[in-house]
Amino acid sequence: MTRAKWPWIALGALVIVMVVVLVVRSRPSNSPAARADRLERQLACPVCEGQSVADSNSFEARGMRDEIPQFIARGMTDAQIRAYYVARYGDKMQEIPANSGLGLVVWFVPAIALVLGLGGIALLLRRWSRQPRLAATPADEDVVRHAREDRGDRS
Amino acid sequence: MRTPIRWIALGVALALVAFGVVLAVQHRNEPSVPRLVQEHATAPAFTVTTLDGKKLSSATLRGKTYVVNFFNSWCIPCQQETPALKAFYAEHRNEADFAMVGVVHDDEAGTIRAYMSAQQIPWPVGFDPNGAAALAYGTTGQPETYVIAPDGVTVCGTLGASTQAELDLWLQAARRGQECT
Repeated sequence: MTRAKWPWIALGALVIVMVVVLVVRSRPSNSPAARADRLERQLACPVCEGQSVADSNSFEARGMRDEIPQFIARGMTDAQIRAYYVARYGDKMQEIPANSGLGLVVWFVPAIALVLGLGGIALLLRRWSRQPRLAATPADEDVVRHAREDRGDRS
Repeated sequence: MRTPIRWIALGVALALVAFGVVLAVQHRNEPSVPRLVQEHATAPAFTVTTLDGKKLSSATLRGKTYVVNFFNSWCIPCQQETPALKAFYAEHRNEADFAMVGVVHDDEAGTIRAYMSAQQIPWPVGFDPNGAAALAYGTTGQPETYVIAPDGVTVCGTLGASTQAELDLWLQAARRGQECT
């Protein structure tokens, strides 16, 4: 393994450690209010574009914000509440992934991909900038040599 | 080494362009048939409060073929649909196995009271202030109309304004236990 690869290996290891630490340490509160808040942020507003139930002021989203605490008080699990709304509105309800646990991966992967992509572009640009645009071929060198010989230039 | 990197970069760029083109040209197909109808689901139970403060429960409609219409006063298609609903209701209101309920969707009590008076709406209308009935039906707006068969299955319906002819067809289909066409 070449030395040049060590920084990349170290960077990869650092990213993996960061993701693992974040996933393990992000233990969300399970109080009814925290669960309701989390569900409202995770569930997509069924009549909006790109808004969560928490963010939307639509009639349906307001109704869901009233309803979710009642479901929690009745003993429904988060999965059951999600399933209830998915049954009524379809899979589009789950457009917003969880921001804790394994759901974090969904948020981090694009950022990591962006950093890696930018790094790759920077490396390519650096490599291309070091290369001469035109490299002399053996035939070119022959022409130059013959020209110098004709001029008596022996240097 | 240089060539494979260029090919990879070109491949990624082409994939991104293709993705962008797909996103740009895709059309969102908005269904006009409610989800409950598509799935022939059992109609959700609901309880709403009528204008005179009485409770109106779907349990009292069991065994009948009934129509549930979600509407409000500020929705233009709801206003356009009202004459068809009135004609349809006048045609069937005396049939023993028929019922029709309006559920107010996202509106104020005072406004809807004035609207009902102006439109002379004769069928029972209930308020759903917290949207429980609307959420149970999975509504995405108004008007939305559902026809429920005596066995409780949501047989027919539409997202958007319905016509008298459609309502008649759906009522007959629900009574015969047939699907809507």
